[in-house]
Order: sequence, then C-alpha cells, then structure tokens
Amino acid sequence: MADDPLQTGLDASEERSDPLRSAEFAELRRLLLSYEQHELEELRQRIEAMGLTPEELAEHLPEAVALRTGSDEKLARALAPTLEGAFTESVHRNPDQIATAIYPILGPAIRKAIADTMAGLVNTINRAFEHSLSWQGIKWRLEAWRTGVSYAQVVIKHGLVYRVEEVYLIHAQTGLLLASVTVEDLEAQDPDVISGMLTAIRDFVRDSWHSRSSQGLRHFMVDESTVLVEPGPYAQLAAKVRGQPPDHLLSQMQATLETIHLQFSKALQRYDGDASPFETAKPLMEDLLETVVTTDQSQTRSVAPRIAWAVLGILVVLLGVLWIRSNRRWNTAVATLDREPGIVLLEADRSFRRWRFSGLRDPVAADPMTLLSTLGVDSSRITADWEPYLSFDPDLVVERGRQLLGAPVSVTFSLTGDTLEGRGTAPASWVGRTSVSAPSVPGVVHLDLTNVNPEFPTEITRLRMLVEGERIRFAVGSAALPPGTRTQLRRLADAVVELRTWAGDLSYRAELELVGRTDSTGSNETNQVLSQVRADAVARALVTLGVTGEVVHPTGIGTADPVSADSPEAAARENRSVSFAVRLTRAGSGEGERQ
Amino acid sequence: MIQKKICMVGVFATGKTSMVRQFVFSKYSEKYHSTVGVKVDRKDVDVQGTTVRLLLWDLEGRDGHQELQTSYLRGAAGILYVVDGTRRETFDQLFELRTAVNSAIGAVPSIVAVNKADLTDQWQITDEELDTLDASQWHQLKTSAKTGQGVEETFSWLAHAMLKGGQS
Repeated sequence: MADDPLQTGLDASEERSDPLRSAEFAELRRLLLSYEQHELEELRQRIEAMGLTPEELAEHLPEAVALRTGSDEKLARALAPTLEGAFTESVHRNPDQIATAIYPILGPAIRKAIADTMAGLVNTINRAFEHSLSWQGIKWRLEAWRTGVSYAQVVIKHGLVYRVEEVYLIHAQTGLLLASVTVEDLEAQDPDVISGMLTAIRDFVRDSWHSRSSQGLRHFMVDESTVLVEPGPYAQLAAKVRGQPPDHLLSQMQATLETIHLQFSKALQRYDGDASPFETAKPLMEDLLETVVTTDQSQTRSVAPRIAWAVLGILVVLLGVLWIRSNRRWNTAVATLDREPGIVLLEADRSFRRWRFSGLRDPVAADPMTLLSTLGVDSSRITADWEPYLSFDPDLVVERGRQLLGAPVSVTFSLTGDTLEGRGTAPASWVGRTSVSAPSVPGVVHLDLTNVNPEFPTEITRLRMLVEGERIRFAVGSAALPPGTRTQLRRLADAVVELRTWAGDLSYRAELELVGRTDSTGSNETNQVLSQVRADAVARALVTLGVTGEVVHPTGIGTADPVSADSPEAAARENRSVSFAVRLTRAGSGEGERQ
Repeated sequence: MIQKKICMVGVFATGKTSMVRQFVFSKYSEKYHSTVGVKVDRKDVDVQGTTVRLLLWDLEGRDGHQELQTSYLRGAAGILYVVDGTRRETFDQLFELRTAVNSAIGAVPSIVAVNKADLTDQWQITDEELDTLDASQWHQLKTSAKTGQGVEETFSWLAHAMLKGGQS
C-alpha cells in the first residue's frame, strides 16, 4: 500500500496537519475505496508486468514489426486479412486515390506481365519445336502412341526432375478429404479414398511402432512417386511427388499448412463433414504444384547425337546418290562398249575405285577411253586390256579401206559385197596412184573409183585447152599442109609433149586424137578419104616434131560431124581442117577419161 | 457435400468386407479374404435430398478378446457392427466391442447388421436374443451380403442417424 503514489501523496499532506484525522481518513478511505484501490493496484501491476505504456508501445512497434517480419511470415499472415479488409474499404470509399497512387507501378507491371507471357510462349514454342523435330521427340511420340499416354506425360516422364502432382488437405481426426488439387493434365484418382487410406496407413505405422509423436510417417515411396505428409493439429497436408522431391518442398508445405490453419482455424475446429469452406484453400495448395523438367540436360545430351544423326543421314543420302550414279554410268559404259563396232567386250568388272575392261579391239575402231570419257567417266580409274583383231563389220572395212588408201575426205566409200566403191572428187594424183597400186584391204576384193572425179593440176588443164583450141586448116580439095602451119604444129607438138610429162607424173597417160574433116562439096567417099589423108598428114608432121607415134590417133570423119559457123563459106573453111582432142587415161586401167 | 466416416466393426469373417463390396460395387464373392489392417472405400448416398459421401473404413476383423485397434476409429461419425448369424460367438462379443469403441471415441450413431440372412437354416441366434438389442436402444437389421438383402437399408439408416446427429 505504501508504494501507491496516490496514497503516499495524500498521506504526506494529511500527516502533517493532524495525525488523528489522518488515521480516520485512512480508515474512511479504506472503507469507501478499498475495491477501487485493489483494482488500481492490479492494473499497476499488470502495466509493470507488460513493461510498456501505450507510448512506449508506439515507440517500439516499428522495430518489433521489423524484427518479427525478419524471423518468419506469421505476422504477415496475421495482418493479411486486416490489410486486405482495409484496402477493400479504401477502394470502396475513394477508388480514384488508389488508382492515382498505384499508377506509377501499374504500367511497368503490365509491361512485365506481357513480356513474361511472351517469353514463356517463345520458350514453349522452342521446346515444342525442339521436341517435335528431334530424334528423342520422335521416340517419345512413338512411346506416347504405343502406350496410349499423352505426349506431355511422356516428355515429363523422361525429362522430369520432379513434379508435385497432387496435394491433399486431410482432416486430421477423421481422415476425410477437405480439398485436393491436381496438376492440369492429370486426373486425380479417388482422392477421398486415398486420403482415408493415407490416414489409415499413418495410424497403422504409428500404432505398430508405438510412436507417441504426432509426426509419424511423413515420407514414403510408391513406384516413381514420393508421398510427403506434413501433419498439423487439425489438418494434414499430403503431396504426391513424381521424381526426386526438392528439400524446400517440405518447408513450403509447412508454411502452407500454417497459413491454412491460420485462415481456416474456425472451419477446421467446427468441421463436421462439410468440406465446402475449404474450396478457398485450393489456391494456396496450387502454389505447391510445380513441375521442374530438365531442358538443359536434354539439350546437352541431345545436340551431339542429333548432329551425328544428321551427318549420318546426309552421308547415307550422298552415298546412295553416288552409288546410283556410278551404277548408271557403269551400265552405260558397258552398253556403249558392247554396241561399239570393232570392240568385243569379254570381261568387265569394277571395285571401289577401279573399272576393269578386257576384250578384243580392231585397231581402226573408236578409242574406248575416248568413248568412256565422253560419258563423263574419269579415265584414270579405268584399266583396260585390248587384244587386237580384225573386224569385218562393213563400217570398219570401209574405215580401214579409207585409212589404208589414204583417201582424202572428199571421197566417200561404201561396201557392196566385196567391192569398195568410192564417190566424190579427189586429186588426180591420188586417183592415178591408187588405181595403179591399191594396197590390199582386208574384206575388199574389188576397188571401184570410176565415180571419183580426178582433179587435175592447172598446168595440165591449161595445156589441154591450148591443144584442143588448135585447128589446122587446108585448101579446097588438098591434103597438103599449108605453108604457114609449121610454127602452129611445133607449138602443138611441144604442148603435147609437155602434157604427157605432167600426166605421167600423176600416173596418167595423155593421148592425142586427130579428127580430119572436109567441106560438103564432092562425094562422100572422096571426102572420107580426103579427111583421113589430112589427119594422117598432121600426125606424121607431129611425129617428126617429137610426139611419140603411138599416142597419136588420126581419124577421118568426112562430113559426118560438121562444125557449124555463121555463113556457108565460113563453115566450109572451118570444116576443111584437122582438130585435136586430149585423152587422159589412168595408167594400167585401160579406161579413158575425157573432159 | 457432406462427408462421413463409418467404421465397420466385428469379429473376423462376419462379412464386413462382403457388405462393403455389395454396397459399393454390387458384387459378391464366395471366396474369403481376410482384411489386414484397414481398407477404405467410398459411396455417395442420398439422405432427404442431401448427398452424403460415406467413407467406409473396413476394419480388420477381431479374433476373440483381441484388443481393438482404436486409432482407426478416430473421427468416425458412425459405427456399423457386423454379426454373423450363423456364429453365436460373434453376437456374444458384440457388447464387449461396443464398450471398447465407446471408450475410444465416445458414443456415435451405430447399427448392428446381423449378416448371412441367406443361411437361416444354420442360424444360431434367436429372434428373442436379437430383441434384447432393441431393448437397449440398439437398432439392428438382418442382412445378406450375398443376396444384398438389407445392405442398402443398413447403410441408409446409419447415414440418416449420423446426419440427425442422434445415436442409438
């Protein structure tokens, strides 16, 4: 009592004035105010126990909040409903103020959300693209098709690190399901029964091991899945995880369960089989659903084999194309050689880089290497062994004839039976030489060059024209050489001699025919005789001038083939004459040639 | 939706599992399977327009005076005792079982299914004896897991009782 400051103050003043009165007052005070005094004392003690006045609390509150926020999230969770309520109230009361306040963060937030969505989309497309085109992707698709499981499931099965597939919120006492969430593409299998069985199993384990702790069985494995259980006083949280569950999952589950206990404490305590209040716990549980797939792993693992497959594929295609091309070339080459006249292909075989041919070949047949190189075959890869032989193929006989005769290109040959016939034009020198001494050509018995026109050198042509242009004219009824003809005859004789020399060089023989004529007067018999005498006279004169007698052939034709002229007198004068014709004959053939 | 936990309690081979099979899957098998531990099944029933999901905990049958494993009973809203009409001792142990259950979880709605009603010729329990159950305010029904007789009715009665919150 003496410690009470109120009382002490009062006592001090009273004691000073009158000790008796003060004792009475004290008694009176005790009688009147004992209940309030007692209450005041209690209050004082309580404030002292708290060690804080409201002022002090106000001072320490920020620090306390900061301290608690740093240690765990209970404060945030406890304050969340109040803050949410306050915020909702504020939005209702003055939406403009809130809109203005959050305006600076709204724009960037929206932009970030869009960017994140786009990035996610690109990532998804990339992954889909990668999975659908890779060998692994094809393999997985086949597996999905074979097992009837969705493709996404197969991808997850192979690339999965872990996936929280199902989360159950189970009433602790009854084992009844309060809420359950499942990953999107998976169908929950009888969650009610599972939560019951899970509770039963935990009960069984606890009973069997006589465990006193409330924790019990918290972790077990079923096939590739692990079941994690986080027990709480009113509810337990169970998660089915495929793959290797990460360490942080349990603490995450713990935090979620704590939040649920905080937010649903009344609903949990009053639970009597109606699970509908726990629908709102699902978003909290969905936060636990998580899929972690190794894309890095699959990338590093899949790039090398993919390149190898690509290279192998290209190689196979390339080799295939090369093989087909080589095969086609080979077949063409063999067919070409088989078809070629003068080549008999006896053996043909090939190895990796070499082609080998052997057989018979006529020397005049086409060169096999040239033939093959026109087909685009690399001649350095070919080994060929040809034995010579003679082919009687008409084309080859003709070719051989051409080569052996050394025929100019202006002459064409054809083989009819065993006769080689030439056509066209050729230098007279070749015609003459060939006619005299044609080499024997295998397969040819006769050589026929009658249809080959000889081309004489200009000198022979000139001399011939000169000789054939001359005419020795006689007086009427006379066969005596007129006095002025001596020079003319010498010129003629010289030309003939020169012509014979030229012709001889070309293996030709030049002969001179003399034709004697008369005018139309007198009898035919007389004229015939006169014309012969005239021709003979000129022939004799030429012989005396050096022309070999045996090449001079005088003939009298009288008036049989008269020369025409402008007038009868001129015609008579022209016909009283001897004219000349040169005959060139191939030496040895006996055939004549006249132009 | 309302969910309720029901525990099937009884001596071994009284037909607890068969009753659940008949009730949930409408199937019956002559073959006997001894339940080890507990098996949980689910069945939705309609009680005056309300769908009630029953979680049926089919408990391992007890043998004689073996101690009842009470942890499975925790949170049960109803108990279904199963008696084999052809085996007297299953009936005799009924009260002992009830005492054990009640001391573990308190009094909850319960019903006694006197099973194997299809084998009346081998019956070892008289109707008078059964009437003693009625006398102690304990509802009982004759059932046959084989023919399905009374099975639906038994579960339905229990569901009603649980929803009303009453007990028998």
